[in-house]
Amino acid sequence: MRLRALVRKEFLLLLRDPHALAVLFIMPTLFLILMAGAMSNYLQDKPPALRVTLTSPQSSPYSEFFGAALAAQLPGSDLRGTTDTRSARISLPEDFAESLLEQNPHALVLSFPPQLDKLSREHLRGAVRVALAQTRLLAFLEDSGALAGDLPLAERLQLIQQRTRSPVEERELLASGDLSGRANASQLSVPAWLIFGMFFVALPMAGAFQREQQSGALLRLRALDLNLGLLTLSKLLPYLSINLLQFALLLGIGVYGLPLLGLQGLSLPGSPLAYVLLAISLTLATCSLGLLLAALARSAEQALLLGGGINIILAALGGIMVPKSVMPEIMGRLAEVSPMSWALDAFLTLLVGQGTLTDIAPYCIRLLLLAAVFGGGGWLLFRRRVLQTQWTNH
Amino acid sequence: MLELINLGHRYPGADSPALQGIDLQLQPGQCLGLLGSNGAGKTTLLSLLAGVLPLQQGEIRWHGERSLGLVPQQLAFYAELKVRENLELFADLYRLRGAERTRRLELCIAICALQDKLPRRAARLSGGEQRRLNFAIGLLQPARLYLFDEATVGVDAASRQRLLNAVEQLTAEGHGVIYTSHYLDEVERVAQRIVLLHEGRVRLDLDSRQLLGDEHGLLLEWQDEEPAGLRALLSRLQLSAEALPRGLRIANLGAVQLLEITRFLSEQAQPPRLLRFGRPSLEQLYLRLNGGRL
Repeated sequence: MRLRALVRKEFLLLLRDPHALAVLFIMPTLFLILMAGAMSNYLQDKPPALRVTLTSPQSSPYSEFFGAALAAQLPGSDLRGTTDTRSARISLPEDFAESLLEQNPHALVLSFPPQLDKLSREHLRGAVRVALAQTRLLAFLEDSGALAGDLPLAERLQLIQQRTRSPVEERELLASGDLSGRANASQLSVPAWLIFGMFFVALPMAGAFQREQQSGALLRLRALDLNLGLLTLSKLLPYLSINLLQFALLLGIGVYGLPLLGLQGLSLPGSPLAYVLLAISLTLATCSLGLLLAALARSAEQALLLGGGINIILAALGGIMVPKSVMPEIMGRLAEVSPMSWALDAFLTLLVGQGTLTDIAPYCIRLLLLAAVFGGGGWLLFRRRVLQTQWTNH
Repeated sequence: MLELINLGHRYPGADSPALQGIDLQLQPGQCLGLLGSNGAGKTTLLSLLAGVLPLQQGEIRWHGERSLGLVPQQLAFYAELKVRENLELFADLYRLRGAERTRRLELCIAICALQDKLPRRAARLSGGEQRRLNFAIGLLQPARLYLFDEATVGVDAASRQRLLNAVEQLTAEGHGVIYTSHYLDEVERVAQRIVLLHEGRVRLDLDSRQLLGDEHGLLLEWQDEEPAGLRALLSRLQLSAEALPRGLRIANLGAVQLLEITRFLSEQAQPPRLLRFGRPSLEQLYLRLNGGRL
C-alpha cells in the first residue's frame, strides 16, 4: 500500500512537471527528427544527386560520349550545362578528342563550388575517372579497328559499359561495434537521440528528490519509519517505467514516424529479445545515474546543471552528437569511456550489423556493471542523505 | 506515556552539546509547552523524538507503542500535488483504511477548513492555507503523541482558533502533545505544563497554572512621584515590592491587602497613572525568565 502510494506520487509529480516531460519526450523526438532529416543526404544509402555543368570548347563524338558515360555514372544528377554557380564544373581541354590516346593527355579541369560536401566531391571524382577511362577505351578500340566508328552513341556506350563492367559481389559481414560509418541517417539518429533522452531521466529524478527534501516532505517520511529500501524503490520504479516508455516510443517514431515525414524509416532486424535486453540494461544504467545524482546534488538547480552537463559531455564523447566514424582515432578511443557509446554500439550492432543477442551482450554487461556501481554507490549516498535530513527552522 | 532519561545530543564539530541531561516525563492527556530562545535545543529535542536524529546519549522510553503525529515548521507536503492528493497520499502512508480513513480525512479537512481547497494544487494556496494543510496532514495520523512546531505561523485569527481548539481536543481525548511556538499566548492557552530550555538544559519545568498563578500581583505607575506613606503601608501589610522605572510591582497579594492599597490610593490627591491587577502573561514571565530573549 505504501509503495503503491509513493510510486503514484512520483508519477503525479512527474506528470505535473512540464519541463521534465519536455526533456524526456519532446527534446529527444525533435532531435531525432531534425537530425535524421539533416543527415539524410550525407548518410543516405544511395549516392547523392549532383548538379554538374560540362563545358567543351570543341564538340566531338568523344566529348559527347564522355557526357553520356558521366551521366550513366551519376544517376539522378542534373548534367545540363548551366551557368549555375552552385554546380560543379567539368571543363574538357581544347584537344580533348585528339589527346585521348596520348600518354600524358591535357588535364580535364574539375571545379567544385565551395558548398559542395566531401562525399559529393568524392562521388563526382570517381564518376569523372570512370567516364574518362571509358572514353579513352572507346578511342583505343576505334583506333585499333576493334570497334566501328559509326555506331550510334547509345550503342557505343552500351558496348563500352559491357567491356568495363567487372563482376563484383558485395557482402555485408555481420559485425559489432562502431558501425556509424555504415549507418544511414535514421539508423544513427534514432538510437543516438533515444539514448540521449533516456539519460536525461536523471534530471527530474534528482530534482524531485531535492524538492522533497527541501520541502520537509521527506522529514515526514522519515518520521514514519519508512523502510529506506522501499523509499528507494519508490523513486526508481516510476523512472524505470518512463525510460522503457521512451525506448518504445522513440523506436516507434523511428519506424513509423520518419517515413511519414518523407525520411527513411528505421527497420528493426534481429530478435526482439535483444532489444528488450538492451532496453533493460540501458534503463538500469540511466536510473542508477539518476539515483547517484539525487544523492550528490544539494538543490534542484544543482541537479539540473550537474545532470545536464554530465549528459552533454557523455553525448559529445560517446558519438551521439558527432558519429564516431568521423572522429579521429584518439577521440574514438576516448568515446569508449562513455556509457552512451556502449549503448549506441549495441544499437548499431543490431540495426546495421544484423547482430544477435550474443553480439550485444558485452555492451549490455558493461551497462549493467555501470548500473551496479552507480546504483550501489548511489544507494549508499542516497541513504546517507535521507538519514541526514533534519528538522529545520526558518 | 513517554519518558526522556538523561537525553543528550552533540552535533558533529559543535563546541558544546545542543542538549544535555534532559529528564522529562509526559503523561497521556498532557500538553507540554516547549519554550526557549533560538539555539536553546527545542528543534534538537523534537528531532530526537521524531527519530530524525540518532540517539547519542540517554534514552527515550515509550510506555506502550511508539506512535507520533508531526506538524513541523517546514511545509512538509508536495507542492505540486492537489490538496486532496496530499491528504490521500499521507492517509495511505499512515495505513488508514475504510471508515476510519474516511472519518479522519473528513475531520481534518473540517478542522483545517480545507473543504473548498481540495481540488487546488498546494503550491497555489496562500501561506496560511498551506499551514492549514501542513497541520491537517499531521493531525490525520492516528498517534499517541503529537509534535507541533510553530504550527500556526501565518494562519488567520479564525483558523488559528480552530487549530488551537483541535490541539485542546487532542489532549482532552488523552493524547500527549508537545507544542512549541513563538506565539506565547497560544502556548499559554493549550499547555498544561511549561518547559523552558536554555543552552540545551531544562531551566524550568512547571505546571502552567502554578507558574502563572504564583505571580498574581498589582502593577502601579505614577504620574509624578510615588505617594508618601505607601512603603509604610506595604510594610504593615507584609508585602514586598519590585521597583520599576516609574512604578512598582507588588506580588502575591490577597483581597484584604488589595482593598487596603486601593483605599490608600483613592485618598491621594493624584491617582496613579496606571493600576493593573492580575497575573502577567506567559510572554512577560518568559521574557523575565529568559533574560529578555524570545
